[in-house]
Parts: sequence; C-alpha cells; structure tokens
Amino acid sequence: MLEATELMVFYENMLALNNVSIKCDDGQIIGIFGSNSAGKSTLMYVLSGIILDIQRKEVMRGGERISVFGRIALDGQEITKFKPHLRAKAGIILCPERRRIFPESSVLENLKIGAYLSSKKDAKQNLEYVFHLFPRLTDCIKRQGGFLSGGEQQMLAIGRALMARPKVLLLDEPLLGLSPAYQKLVVDGVREIRDAKGISIIVTEQYARPVIPIIDYGYILENGSNMLAGSREELMDNPDVKSAYFGV
Amino acid sequence: MEGRVPACGWGSAAGGGDASPIRSNRRAGVIVEFLLYGIINSITLSLLSLGFTLVYSISRLPNFAHGALYITSGYIVWLLLNRLGLPYPIAVVIGILATGFIGALIYRFILIRIRGMEISEIIATYAIGLAIIEGLRWGGLRGMTFTLPPFFPGSVILAGVSVDYQRLSIVAIGALTFLGLYLFTHFNKLGLALRGIAQDERAAMMLGIDSDMTAVVSLAIGSGLAAFAAILLLPLGNIVVEAGYSVLIYAIAVCIIGGLGSWGGAIVGAFIIGFAQILTEAFLSSHFQMVVALLAIIVTLLLKPSGLFGKQKELEERV
Repeated sequence: MLEATELMVFYENMLALNNVSIKCDDGQIIGIFGSNSAGKSTLMYVLSGIILDIQRKEVMRGGERISVFGRIALDGQEITKFKPHLRAKAGIILCPERRRIFPESSVLENLKIGAYLSSKKDAKQNLEYVFHLFPRLTDCIKRQGGFLSGGEQQMLAIGRALMARPKVLLLDEPLLGLSPAYQKLVVDGVREIRDAKGISIIVTEQYARPVIPIIDYGYILENGSNMLAGSREELMDNPDVKSAYFGV
Repeated sequence: MEGRVPACGWGSAAGGGDASPIRSNRRAGVIVEFLLYGIINSITLSLLSLGFTLVYSISRLPNFAHGALYITSGYIVWLLLNRLGLPYPIAVVIGILATGFIGALIYRFILIRIRGMEISEIIATYAIGLAIIEGLRWGGLRGMTFTLPPFFPGSVILAGVSVDYQRLSIVAIGALTFLGLYLFTHFNKLGLALRGIAQDERAAMMLGIDSDMTAVVSLAIGSGLAAFAAILLLPLGNIVVEAGYSVLIYAIAVCIIGGLGSWGGAIVGAFIIGFAQILTEAFLSSHFQMVVALLAIIVTLLLKPSGLFGKQKELEERV
C-alpha cells in the first residue's frame, strides 16, 4: 500500500502541490485527473523520487530552488528520502509522461534494460507476459524505439516498466496523443495488469472518460490542490466533474 | 617515394617508432604499406580514444584527465616491473586495475560534486590531468629512459612490408576489445544499464538504475581502457609525460569528428585521422601528425559541428 500524506512542493515561490494526500491500496487502480499545470506530473515525480534528482541538478546549476515536504510510505515503510533508484527497488516504478523510450535501442533491448532489477528467470517470465499483453510489440521486436509510433511507444513504455517488477506502477498520462483505438488497447492492458498480477496502479490523465471505467478511486487536482476525491461512482455523479473532465 | 615507416610511437613526443626502415621500391609494397600502417594507426587512435568516448557517451562527462591516466598507467607498470620486479602479465593487470580505480576515485570524490556543470567538469578534469602529468614530471618521469618491453618481440614480412608483432597485435587486440565492449553493452545487464543511462538518464533511474553507480563504473572502465591502450602502445616508444597531452588531443579530435558520444563515429573518426596522418607522413613529414588532428577538429567544427554521427535528430520523440 502506497500512502502519501500532506505533500507540498514549491518551485521557488510557486506552489506546485498544496497539501495533497493520496492513498493506493493493494491491487487498486487510482485515477488522478487535472488539467495542464494542475500538478499531476509533479505528484508523479514526488512519488517516484525523481523530484529529488531534479532538485539536486537544480542546486548544482544554481537554478530553481525546489522544496519538497510531506511523507511517503510504502507498505508501512517510510521512503520519503529514498533516491529514485531505491524507490524503484522498493517497487515504485514510474512510466513517465511522453514515454521516454530509449530511442537508439531496439524494442527488445528497451525491455531488457527495464529488467535491470529482476533476476534472469523473472525477466524471462515478464518478457513473455509483456508480449502476451501487447502482441503488437512482437511485430517490431527488432525496431529502434525511436522509430515506433506513439501508441507502440506507449505499450513499450508500460512493458518496460513491468519488466522492473513493480508493486506500484505509476502511469503519467499514458493516453497522451494516442488514437482512440490505441487508447482502448492501453486501458485494457492496464486493467489486465492489475487483474492478472495484482499490481497497484496510479494513472494520471487530463481527460477522465477513457480511464474512469477501470479506476477504483479517483482524485481531482486543481492548481496543485486536491479539490475532490471519491470512488468511481461518486466522481461520475458529480456535476462539476462531469462538465470539467468528461466533456459532457 | 622513400618507404618511410610511419611512426606509431605514441609514447614518445617526437613520435619515433623503433621499427627498422623498409627498403622496398615496389609500388605494390608501397600500397600494402600504406594500407597496413593506415589500419594500424587508425586502430591505435581508436584505442586511444575509446575510454574517452565511453565515459562521455555514458555519463556526459568530458574526461580531460584521459591522457594523464594513460601515461600514469604506463608509469605504474614500469614501476611494478623495474622497482618491484613483478612478472610482466601481473604488472599489466595491476596497472589496468589501479588506473581504473583512480578513475573511479576521481568521480567519487571530485566529479560527483560538479556533475551537470559542463564548464566545471572540463576545468576540473583538465586540472586533475595537469596535476597528474606535471606531478609525474616533477616526480622524475623525464628523459628517454622509461620504456616498456614489447610483449610480442620480433617482426614479420607481410607482402614485402616489415611489421613488428607488437603492431600486428594492436590490430588484433583492438578488434577484440571492440567486440568485447559490444558484447558487454548488448548482452550484459550492467552494460545494458550503462546504455540506458547514456540514452536517457532519468528514464533509466525510474527503472532502478543508479546514475552515480553507472558514472563510477563508466569512469573506471574508461580509465581502464586508457591503461589498456597505454600498455599496448607504450612498448613502441618511450614513456614520456608529454604523451599525456597528445593522447588527450587525439582522443578529442577523434571524438569530435565522429560526433561526441557516438562509438561508431569514434571508430570512423579514428580511421579518417589515421589514414590522413599516414598520408601526411608519406608526402610531408611526421611532424605534421598533430597538425592533422587539430585541423580535423577545426574543419569538423566549421562544417558539421555535431560531427559525422552526432546525436540523431530524426529520433526525437513523437507525440
């Protein structure tokens, strides 16, 4: 179970996350919805620890001052100070916005690099599972990551994250720029991962409609604050949410 | 044209090899000689620059101490051989490991604090290199008395051209090194992690790869490769501190022509400079070797600043 309490993030004096608390129980799919600059990616960076790396690089460059407050715990163990690679080791794997595939490596190599934390046996099993989950990837196994289409890249990014045997999988805008057909493939894949492997998943989106059917619980972020939280039905029945995030 | 033997003596400042001159006035002999020594010279250059390229491509650290590490390893092996009287193979292994260790220390204690600030990285690594080179000079590494014995003595006549075994072994061992590195970075978990970090540091972190660890490893391997090159090449000349500077310039020239961070590019760049040097040797004089490398840098920066195989723009992300 991943639990983040009272997260606050400042970029210089700008408040990017304001007192956000979220909770993800084992085997749940959590949705986080919000428009651009609502703080979705920042939240993902905080949960995955990438914010600590950004912070360190900014300090070295004498750039922006980033301050992070709050507590994050995974299965009761406090991981707030863990560096990104240690969080990954603890089981929090981020599949980042815009996918960030390794462009010069082939599909297979991308997956193999993803298997850095797994044993040889796990890697082999997971590799088979990824190809079972996204059969399209088998067609372009030797192709360079940079030459894949956006949808294929997204499947590869999720597959690569799975190779790292996550306990909690963070998906940052996995549907960004995908056609409805690919969106469906990805959403079905996400549900299948949870059902088959019991992996908890936190997924962010700007537009809630494609994702809402698969989530157990959802949060709405606005200007860095958690405006609303509720189960799938509660969110779907709320008139404000409907107009802002469902386009009804 | 008098069949002058192109010098591949990377240890000595003047670049004087110790191979005996060839007396061959047949045209075929000249062509074979040109090809053979061109290849030897090119592989030599790529071995010299391999460590530099590797560190830059993985960690984006320009290791300007590369030449200093090269000459340090030669000196370490010399000390082990002559002062401690260790057998040659053991001295070589210790020399490579020790130099790799020095590289790792340089990252762990100095570069880790300034990572990401390019100018500081250059200044710091160059300062370390200067300190090492001038420290060695001050410590007594002067004159022409420091030599390593070739481990494959003797020479052979190939198609009318005399080549010593040491130079031939450079070609073979160089090719094996490239193959070994290819296998390491494509089939080994750590090697794959290094390539992941090289392509997208942050994405690799998200998969559990520690970028400080990979930087230490890349500097250790890069320095070890510098040592490896030194031990192969120094027996062709003397161990002189000035080689530290020229090796660095050759490494930079090769990398700039090939495109910084591109391994294939570095090998192509080495072949371009390697053959260009052999040509200037044949038609001008061996003193122009360094001029060729520097001119190549200037021409590349003027015509194609990213180098022949610089980062591919067409692979930019698709949305």
